[in-house]
Amino acid sequence: MRTGGYADIRDYAVIGDGRAAALVARDGAIDWLCMPDLDSPSVFGALLDAERGGSFQLCPSVPHSVERRYRPGTNVLETTFHTQDGAVRVVDAMTTTGPGLAPLRELARRVEGLSGEVPLTWRVEPRFGYAERKTRIERRLGVPVATAAAAALAVQCWNAPESGHEEAAIAGRIDVRAGESALIALAMADREPLVLSSREEVEARIEATARAWAQWSAGREYAGAWQGAVLRSALALKLLVHAPSGAVAAAATTSLPEEIGGERNWDYRFCWVRDSAFTLGAFLGLGCGADARAYFWWLMQASQLTHPRLRVLYGLDGGAHAPERLLTLGGYRGSSPVRVGNAAASQVQLDTYGELLQTAWLYAAAGHRIDADVGQRLAEIADLVCRLWRLPDAGIWEVRSVPRHFTQSKMMCWVALDRARDLAERGLIPDRHAQRWRQEATLIEEFVETQCFSPEKRSYVRHAGSGELDASLLLGVLMSYGAPTSDRWSGTVEALRRELRDGPFVRRYSGEDGLGGSEGAFLACSFWLAEALARSGRVEDAAALMDELVGLANDVGLYAEEIDPATGAFLGNLPQGLSHLALISAALAIDGAADR
Amino acid sequence: MSVWGALAGGFAGTLVLTTALRAGNELNLTRIDLPFLLGTAFTSDRTRAKALGYVLHFLMGLVFALVYYAVFVAIGHSGWGLGAIAGLVHGLFSGSALVDTLLPLVHPRMGTSATAAPSVALLEPPGFMMLNYGVQTPLVSLAAHVAYGTLVGGFIGLAG
Repeated sequence: MRTGGYADIRDYAVIGDGRAAALVARDGAIDWLCMPDLDSPSVFGALLDAERGGSFQLCPSVPHSVERRYRPGTNVLETTFHTQDGAVRVVDAMTTTGPGLAPLRELARRVEGLSGEVPLTWRVEPRFGYAERKTRIERRLGVPVATAAAAALAVQCWNAPESGHEEAAIAGRIDVRAGESALIALAMADREPLVLSSREEVEARIEATARAWAQWSAGREYAGAWQGAVLRSALALKLLVHAPSGAVAAAATTSLPEEIGGERNWDYRFCWVRDSAFTLGAFLGLGCGADARAYFWWLMQASQLTHPRLRVLYGLDGGAHAPERLLTLGGYRGSSPVRVGNAAASQVQLDTYGELLQTAWLYAAAGHRIDADVGQRLAEIADLVCRLWRLPDAGIWEVRSVPRHFTQSKMMCWVALDRARDLAERGLIPDRHAQRWRQEATLIEEFVETQCFSPEKRSYVRHAGSGELDASLLLGVLMSYGAPTSDRWSGTVEALRRELRDGPFVRRYSGEDGLGGSEGAFLACSFWLAEALARSGRVEDAAALMDELVGLANDVGLYAEEIDPATGAFLGNLPQGLSHLALISAALAIDGAADR
Repeated sequence: MSVWGALAGGFAGTLVLTTALRAGNELNLTRIDLPFLLGTAFTSDRTRAKALGYVLHFLMGLVFALVYYAVFVAIGHSGWGLGAIAGLVHGLFSGSALVDTLLPLVHPRMGTSATAAPSVALLEPPGFMMLNYGVQTPLVSLAAHVAYGTLVGGFIGLAG
């Protein structure tokens, strides 16, 4: 069911190939695909402008019901349409491997007749460059090809006759009987000639892709209570990994709103240093050693450009600049502006230093080698933290109000120096300034304990001197700032549950952030609460909350950034890496605590 | 005029031609990728195709430089201007007969007007003046070939 041409955010599944990702709605429409990479301009952007954005629609032309799933252990999506006269299954995949000379990017949709006879219609409306470029449709070897500047998209179909192309759209219909199949493949090219494949090759690549995903899944090591949710989260994360570099995007989309009709619409197709410790922890915890190595080295390479300072986020190619601009797209259900780029890149966020040192510490703790030059840089970053921690910053939530002395930022500065000290003691980084790191860590601790704790609330507070609360304080528990069973942490967890929690939902913070409007509950915070409960010994409470949270995923196991507590509607970008990372981290921690 | 001048000019000219076409890619002007086109005649592996294609492209650059040399010896003249004219003719020939007509006939993975629905993977044919790869392609290609010809002609003249 669509409203004004827009499906619910909850209705989307994602497919991808480690470079690009497409969002597929329950009604069979592909409303989002950027090409050639996740952070490139869109070729299907109906997600952000139902009229002009472009899409690939494929669904029965008669009334129907829908059920869908991922093929087990894969990112190959199966959508089954049931009609009065029969049923068909649509298998969607972005192919990653297989025989033959493959197109630069290939999106394949196979329609399989399951019973009776089902008529379907399909329509491909490519709109290159966020619908800002003029699309031309021509023919090559009898195949319709849409082009704009140096990008091209060919629509190859078998048993899915084209009924002609109109202005910048290619359409057709399919009549599928039980046992028959049809296939539509989009071959995409960017700055190179198109490759047009045979049906046999496309079919073989779909199956090879499914096998490759299943093989990857079989290598994951988690076998705990939430195995299905953890594996789906790992597969979703894998779609956010930019395979050529190892970077992990925060989400596959831009500008899905945190409030319908509101201005909180951000581009998440970048890699946040904030997520680095969770990302590496998840890779290591699930036995993805190769992904962990690639990610760590990408992170250290990207941050080298700005050393010793860190940018809040980096491009998937490691670039440090992400200039923000507004598009002419109307926005999801009128939620404008639609942004590409992210102005938060240039903010000062002190917590990132703690995240980076924690990431290096995890990497070393897992037995990976830290080279001498990287060790030297980590020590220099710790030195920088000694100079910076007294400054106010924008905090983990990237508020656009005046900088503050955010408690979580100070705690993460303490984490940075504590991890640096530990790495130095183990001889993994130079220890010339280790004594200073200890002294400054003690000063940070004194600041937090005297300025950032409210005796009235018996809780740490959002920033020095305030009475507000912030769910990111839970990261202090997760990153071992103090003992998780201490009175101060017990009081803080209780205060957060009391003031920010509503059922399984947790809001990010109380107080203002420099933006108008409101937002939903932030899913990662709920998972952090579950993990904090486990780490403080309340394993049963943690497991109960985790069960509730796992039940909040959409029908294929994905999470957006936020959720509306009143309606359960997803808000924000999808799939949201931090939500899935927090799920994995919480599952590993709760299982670990239960085992102890 | 000397063969060595032709070979040096061919090397420098191919460097500039390749760079110009790549710049055309980056500026979103064209999808032409000559190394990719050449390499895929021998392998379906993308990475190997591009690597092999670059080698072949440079060898062809040297071969064409020797052809230029033969023509200049035959007419008894050489130089930058004459090289530019030869490059223009070369570019027109490449975009029409060579890549549009001859390459699809010998390239095992390129479609032609005689090809039916693909039974094997096919590269998109370039079309007249390689217009299928973008409407700006002829301009980019001609400019690159004129630069190539200018360098070859100039080097041959200098070596004389």
